[in-house]
Amino acid sequence: MKGSLSPRTPGVLALGGAGLIAALATGRPELALIAVPFLVFGGAGLMLAREPQVTAAVEAERLRFLEGEELTAMVRVRNDGPESVEAEVAPVRTGQLAVAPASTVAVRVGARSETEIAFSVRPRRWGAHGLGPVAVRTRDALGVTVWEGRLGARVDMRAFPREERLRELVAPLRTQPFLGAHVARSRADGIEFADIRPFAVGDRVRQVNWRATARRGSLQVNQRHPEHSSDVVLLLDTFEEARDQDSGTLDSAVRTAASLARAHLARRDRVGVVDFGGTLHWLEPAFGTRQLYRIVDALLSSNIAFSYAWRNVDSLPQRVLPPGALILAITPLLDERSIALVSELRKRGCDLTVVEVSPLDYVSPGPTASDAVAYELWRLAREALRARLQSLGVGVAISEPGSALGPALEEVNAFRRSARPALRA
Amino acid sequence: MTLLAEIALVVLAGIAVATCVTLLPAPRPLRRRQPAAPVPSRPQQLVALERLVTTAGTSAVSAHAYLRPRLIEIVSHRLAARGQTLERMPEAVGRDLLGDRLWDIVRPDRRFPQDRRGPGVQAQELDAMLEVIRRL
Repeated sequence: MKGSLSPRTPGVLALGGAGLIAALATGRPELALIAVPFLVFGGAGLMLAREPQVTAAVEAERLRFLEGEELTAMVRVRNDGPESVEAEVAPVRTGQLAVAPASTVAVRVGARSETEIAFSVRPRRWGAHGLGPVAVRTRDALGVTVWEGRLGARVDMRAFPREERLRELVAPLRTQPFLGAHVARSRADGIEFADIRPFAVGDRVRQVNWRATARRGSLQVNQRHPEHSSDVVLLLDTFEEARDQDSGTLDSAVRTAASLARAHLARRDRVGVVDFGGTLHWLEPAFGTRQLYRIVDALLSSNIAFSYAWRNVDSLPQRVLPPGALILAITPLLDERSIALVSELRKRGCDLTVVEVSPLDYVSPGPTASDAVAYELWRLAREALRARLQSLGVGVAISEPGSALGPALEEVNAFRRSARPALRA
Repeated sequence: MTLLAEIALVVLAGIAVATCVTLLPAPRPLRRRQPAAPVPSRPQQLVALERLVTTAGTSAVSAHAYLRPRLIEIVSHRLAARGQTLERMPEAVGRDLLGDRLWDIVRPDRRFPQDRRGPGVQAQELDAMLEVIRRL
């Protein structure tokens, strides 16, 4: 800790000095009597000043939690010195963590003892946050010298994005030969009825459709659609974002990606993630809860990296886009590179859906009348872009802050049902 | 009298000292790092359009080369929803549907402006055109 004089100490010493000079100048000892206590006070304080043996440690209730969730953090201030000290403790100031109380907390720590101060911490946004060190200031018993420093190690915490529970998901066009929750187009053992056909050697008796058999006069068996899983790739566009003071499209995009990953993994799909932006990161598709944690961890490190580099489908490793995978592009459709990628993927025959994270809520028109016209032109141009993607057979679900994604995905499924002949082409 | 004056002097000196003590600076707040304020980010698409609307108001070339393709894309999308196309639209129908000014801009046979320094499309005019498009 760094020691310095209290802001009042020079004043006290100056008053004492001025009193002495006045006493000498006027020849009145009474003035010296007034001045001496100040000098004695200041001098004794300086003589007795000693660096306090204070340490502090920061502890969080949990290191992993959801964004917006409130938890308690404890600051333990320990005094190993022989005298008690007065300490002022202030929490860290970070843009993403709301800490209460935000102001300085004053405590008295007894000799060779410890005091705990509780702070409530609430992350405003998902991501990796650091709590600590804390700013601590102590003063000696007379308040002549102060000692200030940052104590305690930084505690790294991870705030996971809040996820929306999705009941409706985009149904993939193609499935993989693993047990899952999607009704496959092929015919095999399953629950969903597909068709009836004449009995063949090897068919089981339980497959016989007796009503059809009675009508047609020969043995008929039921055919069913099996339930299979699918491969899902979440393509997160991190080229550009629209942002206001509080939040931006990337915040919403990560929440949407986490919600989709959880919902698809719960339906036993293989899910992978591609962070497509100035820097390229990916996670190959895999099953299970462990993959969910891997995906969320990968999403937490997503940020907008400015880059002039042109990226296209060839920038992506082949293994991250398995054949027949459903690609969910989560994008604000702001960067030409991501729009070109979406078009190119569709033209290559990929099963693609765009989840558009609408930037309109984060951007307001500029101050002039021509800016307002430009804003309206931009809004209409975005509608036209959406229509162009739909004409390619790409379903577009619009994700807006404060509204559920489920109905938008339902609309996409309806669009995909009507556009199926074009999608197959 | 002298004693009284001395007592008064000491009292006054005491009051002056007490006043000075109260005027001494208070301890400053604990030094902490200010968090970086989040920077709002405006999309480049919008910034480019704001520039385009400004330049299109003063330059016929800018209006023809940069604003017109955007208007054509928007109008085509709106017309497609009605089962119409701009390319096959008769002039009379186009003028009736889009209005004279918008039709003159988006008509398929529009030529490059002869007067390169001629006036472009003012923001108010463009606003009126967008209103027509919205009503389609």
